[in-house]
Amino acid sequence: MGQGTPGGLNRQGLPGDRKPDGSGKKEKKFEPAAPPARVGRKQRKQKGPEAAARLPTVTPLTKCKLRLLKLERIKDYLLMEEEFVANQERLKPQEEKAEEDRSKVDDLRGSPMSVGNLEELIDENHAIVSSSVGPEYYVGILSFVDKDQLEPGCAILMHNKVLSVVGLLQDEVDPMVSVMKVEKAPLESYADIGGLDAQIQEIKEAVELPLTHPELYEDIGIKPPKGVILYGEPGTGKTLLAKAVANSTSATFLRVVGSELIQKYLGDGPKLVRELFRVADDLSPSIVFIDEIDAVGTKRYDAHSGGEREIQRTMLELLNQLDGFDSRGDVKVILATNRIESLDPALLRPGRIDRKIEFPLPDIKTRRRIFQIHTSRMTLADDVNLEEFVMTKDEFSGADIKAICTEAGLLALRERRMKVTHADFKKAKDKVMFKKKEGVPEGLYM
Amino acid sequence: MAPDPNRTAGGASGSGTTKEGKDDTVAKKKVENEDLSDEDLALKQQLELYVERVQDPDPSLQKVALESMRQEIRTSTSSMTSVPKPLKFLRPHYGTLKAYYETMSESDLKKYLADILSVLALTMSAEGERESLKYRLLGSDGDIGSWGHEYVRNLAGEISQEYAKRQSEEAPIDDLMELVQQIVAFHMKHNAEPEAVDLLMEVEDLDMLVEHVDKTNFKRTCLYLTSSARYLPGPDDMLVLDIAYLIYLKFEEYPNALQIALFLDNLQYVRQVFTSCDDLLRKKQFCYILARHGITFELDEEMVADDDDREVLQDIINNSKLSEGYLTLARDIEVMEPKSPEDIYKAHLLDGRASSGASVDSARQNLAATFVNAFVNAGFGQDKLMTVPSDSSSGGSSGNWLFKNKEHGKTSAAASLGMILLWDVDSGLAQIDKYFHSNDNHVIAGALLGVGIVNCGIKNDCDPAMALLGDYTDKEDSSIRIGAIMGLGIAYAGSQNEQLRYKLAPILNDAKASLDVIAFTAISLGLIYVGSCNEEVAQAIIFALMDRSEAELAEPLTRLLPLGLGLLYLGKQVYRCESVEATAEVSKTFNEKIRKYCDMTLLSCAYAGTGNVLKVQNLLGHCSQHLDKGEMHQGPAVIGIAMVAMAEELGLEMAIRSLEHLLQYGEQNIRRAVPLALGLLCISNPKVNVMDTLSRLSHDTDSEVAMAAVISLGLIGAGTNNARIAGMLRNLSSYYYKDTSLLFCVRIAQGLVHLGKGLLTLNPYHSDRFLLSPTALAGLVTMLHACLDMKAIVLGKYHYVLYFLVLAMQPRMLMTVDDSLKTLPVPVRVGQAVDVVGQAGRPKTITGFQTHSTPVLLAAGDRAELATEKYIPLSPILEGFVILKENPEYRED
Ligand SMILES: Nc1ncnc2c1ncn2[C@@H]1O[C@H](COP(=O)(O)OP(=O)(O)O)[C@@H](O)[C@H]1O
Ligand SMILES: [Mg+2]
Repeated sequence: MGQGTPGGLNRQGLPGDRKPDGSGKKEKKFEPAAPPARVGRKQRKQKGPEAAARLPTVTPLTKCKLRLLKLERIKDYLLMEEEFVANQERLKPQEEKAEEDRSKVDDLRGSPMSVGNLEELIDENHAIVSSSVGPEYYVGILSFVDKDQLEPGCAILMHNKVLSVVGLLQDEVDPMVSVMKVEKAPLESYADIGGLDAQIQEIKEAVELPLTHPELYEDIGIKPPKGVILYGEPGTGKTLLAKAVANSTSATFLRVVGSELIQKYLGDGPKLVRELFRVADDLSPSIVFIDEIDAVGTKRYDAHSGGEREIQRTMLELLNQLDGFDSRGDVKVILATNRIESLDPALLRPGRIDRKIEFPLPDIKTRRRIFQIHTSRMTLADDVNLEEFVMTKDEFSGADIKAICTEAGLLALRERRMKVTHADFKKAKDKVMFKKKEGVPEGLYM
Repeated sequence: MAPDPNRTAGGASGSGTTKEGKDDTVAKKKVENEDLSDEDLALKQQLELYVERVQDPDPSLQKVALESMRQEIRTSTSSMTSVPKPLKFLRPHYGTLKAYYETMSESDLKKYLADILSVLALTMSAEGERESLKYRLLGSDGDIGSWGHEYVRNLAGEISQEYAKRQSEEAPIDDLMELVQQIVAFHMKHNAEPEAVDLLMEVEDLDMLVEHVDKTNFKRTCLYLTSSARYLPGPDDMLVLDIAYLIYLKFEEYPNALQIALFLDNLQYVRQVFTSCDDLLRKKQFCYILARHGITFELDEEMVADDDDREVLQDIINNSKLSEGYLTLARDIEVMEPKSPEDIYKAHLLDGRASSGASVDSARQNLAATFVNAFVNAGFGQDKLMTVPSDSSSGGSSGNWLFKNKEHGKTSAAASLGMILLWDVDSGLAQIDKYFHSNDNHVIAGALLGVGIVNCGIKNDCDPAMALLGDYTDKEDSSIRIGAIMGLGIAYAGSQNEQLRYKLAPILNDAKASLDVIAFTAISLGLIYVGSCNEEVAQAIIFALMDRSEAELAEPLTRLLPLGLGLLYLGKQVYRCESVEATAEVSKTFNEKIRKYCDMTLLSCAYAGTGNVLKVQNLLGHCSQHLDKGEMHQGPAVIGIAMVAMAEELGLEMAIRSLEHLLQYGEQNIRRAVPLALGLLCISNPKVNVMDTLSRLSHDTDSEVAMAAVISLGLIGAGTNNARIAGMLRNLSSYYYKDTSLLFCVRIAQGLVHLGKGLLTLNPYHSDRFLLSPTALAGLVTMLHACLDMKAIVLGKYHYVLYFLVLAMQPRMLMTVDDSLKTLPVPVRVGQAVDVVGQAGRPKTITGFQTHSTPVLLAAGDRAELATEKYIPLSPILEGFVILKENPEYRED
């Protein structure tokens, strides 16, 4: 809803509302109306036009008749609104009038328009703006611009000649954040995870249940956990589990990798974190998944370089968001890392992320499951005996098993065979184990 | 199921539909037993064995098998996110067991099996089959809780379905009720009062609740009941409240019982509360509650045996000490110093221009100052215009100020003295007395009105108002008559005083009386008999309406006649008072000019404070019609929406939304009423979004919309000293400095915002927003209806209708007193009230609190709680006057 539509319901009013009609005040030349009380301080989302659309909260959360009755009451009112508006639209369509107003506003705006930045608000009808190229100008703000939403630093539309402010660009969601939203759910589901039953259950209880059944927590009288951290050896399925959560939930899923939060310019990292959580709040209920959190979440030492300090600031912002100064009820956070011991203890203290879920290396049973999962779509020769690999004493992670299966498949492919044989698996295993032990310098892997 | 959290359509949910359940079955099929852990496998085989054994011909084996199966199910601990393992493994055998059950012969074993089937049905039974219930009824009737919460919950659901079915078939329900007994007992023992109540509501047997409540859970139960009553369709709500009343009575929570009695407007119940309790101190507290509610109530021997005691108690009900308490509060907060209108206008904060404009139409300005002065200094007994000793040299002596007003302006000026001396009958009458000897009819009229105002809400055995005003109602001069009639209406609002009816009713049909006299008589009768459904008064007003000529019906003041009629039925819905119907029928025969107006007023009054959605719909429907010229019933319809919807928070919020739509689409006559409706919805409760809307409307091109918006800004900020509204109004005063009418409205609004220097509220709701004081609402509605035609009434010569607001004025305080009713300062925590209905445990009832020492002010939505253990309050709701008793168990440490 850009400024194109004149008069958001709750605020500006139709253009001209404010202009005193000549009579009675003729002598007085145009005096600006009493200023809207909070020019230039952008109000929080709730107070915006959507505030009117936002429905009152319903307590109690417990599923009971009272709640039902209350929700029905709201529904009744909404139905009445619908009926009323439909009636009115039928009687005297607003379309034309709105259309008229809109074209009027378009006239005033002139076209083409240019985009600029609001530098400073002088009074409620004037501002200093800068266009992308040239210097800064002192210009007027047209009356139909919603002044409550102007804020120093926001992107605005300017008249192409006189440069007065004629509108504001509202798509303020950082494009960086919008790409984080998982639009297409990943294909991995819980069924693709071998073992890890306890982990699945825990993450469900900590992340999904509070979003779907908040009343259970209220019944007991506790606050549901804000989020969880998944940790364990590389390749044990942490990312996989997060994907499965994304797959199964109907909540918005936002995913970031810790390293993405490290930005080139000073202050951008923290800003991104803030944006991320704001978007999460707007789209709530939502789940924020930050993979490889160690990129920003390491212990705080005396930082030597500016870059390190910036990383720390990013983490501080993250802490702040997790503390939820403004309550973010319906946002849950999942963190994942390989190196929990290097994380800043502040990040993990109770109240922020208090659920730690460990991902151990798979035991024999789990290994068998993982093998099954990864070989289920392969054509295996009859002589393949997976038990041999399941029972070995070598330490395998889930990722290793997957690598073995893939490798074996590749070997078969190389020889143009249609089936994967036991020998392939053997070779693949040796190769993978070799790579794991010797091929890669120790330090790089752990 | 849970409210679908899928609000982000097209979001992550895209292919997220593959729910775990499906995955489960698909995957499980493929790998069958292989992925089961060893224990699971063992369990599974074990259970399969049991299933086989159950079908064994040997009964002893059967018994063992059933026992073990039962054991397995009971001991399995389940997680919220998955089905317990034994149930999962038994699922495939449900059919087998069911089939076998049918073949069994009647025996204990069969019942045993039925029990197990009943539990299995929890996960297996098809929707609508209610097999869990079926087998439960066939089963052995053992302890219901032993199968866990989920089982009981499911059973309860099936019972309510079954009940509905049997009701329609008129089948017996004894076995069901037996089960309900068990379930209710279980829930009540396990902190699940809402579930118990819900079930009983479904099976329409709330009485059963009374035997199951105990000391630990009755409060939560009753809270749930009373909150639900707000949303239940009538007359179910009455039933629910009746039960709550009984429970409160049973546990001797008399103040709560009394509140319900007042809510139900059932004086019989009120009596019962008095007769059930034998603690005099507690009875005093009841009297304070009655006094705040503003109803007339006579104690008798049965309620209070001792004559002296009774006198003391009756004094409390009569509000004789209200003035004293209010002044104590004022002294404590140190706001006794009188304020002049200029102190309120704060013109120095504006840039120069405004002050220069003051010269225009100074009579209007002075009138505004009169009102501002009256509102701001209301009840303080001193001010800078009216009460200054007249012997002091020229200056602003009272005589002078009175005569700075012209004609009818003097009426309001003289009456303002009544407002300043509000509730202080003795000195009020003494000071007003001097005006009675004036030879200016307007001044006498004002004095009469002033006497009425002083006596507002106060009852006195000598009936001074009646004695003083009675003789003037039949005087020649109509301004004097109006003064006396209106004064009587205000002084005796809600009293249903017969004597007054005999005096006033004839005026309605007096051919010589002018229209304005008749209009004010109708209102006064409406106020005196508010919510009484009195037939005689109704008749009299109806006749008066029928007698009006076509021309008279078009007069602005005529609107007060239907309103007077409506007030008689205030808050009485049809099923509580059939005569509403009858009157509505009669009103259909009225002249078409007034017919719809009458209809709307009746409807909105009868359902005021009920939250009835159907009526809101009806009223909205009227607002969506396109009007012919001259019809004016949409204004009261809009106000009616607010009157009906103000009952509860949700309706209130939603009504605000609806009103926004009305603004957008409505025509002028609707747009003019919308601000007033908003003003009523948020009275003395400045919600930011409403404030913004009104602020926007206060610049509307239609001056009447702007006026209504300005007045409403005053209403929503009434008595709050809200700085933002004060700032807005200040700016408006400079914006409109040349427009005297609007400026007048701005001044009035400024006076309202500083009502009683911020110690008063206009909110008719009190006691945690549970009770609605009928007289207060009546006063507000009368004033709002008058504002529907601002130009003719408020800006014309009937500005004194603004004084109807006095009916709603109450100190917004918490004053704690000891057992001898002396003030007793104690620390209290004051914070935002939190809705704790349906929450287990002892949740916090307030947030963001601060600790103060009483007396303290309470803003809208505030709640107080004692911050000391030393005393026990005699009323659970800390508002108004609260008596404290020493806590015998308190130990200083
Ligand atoms: N428990 C498991 N079940 C099935 N596959 C697994 C499991 N653990 C790991 N994998 C395989 O290993 C790959 C890498 O796992 P990932 O979750 O990315 O590891 P990390 O824990 O380092 O984030 C996954 O894509 C998956 O195919
Ligand atoms: Mg990973």
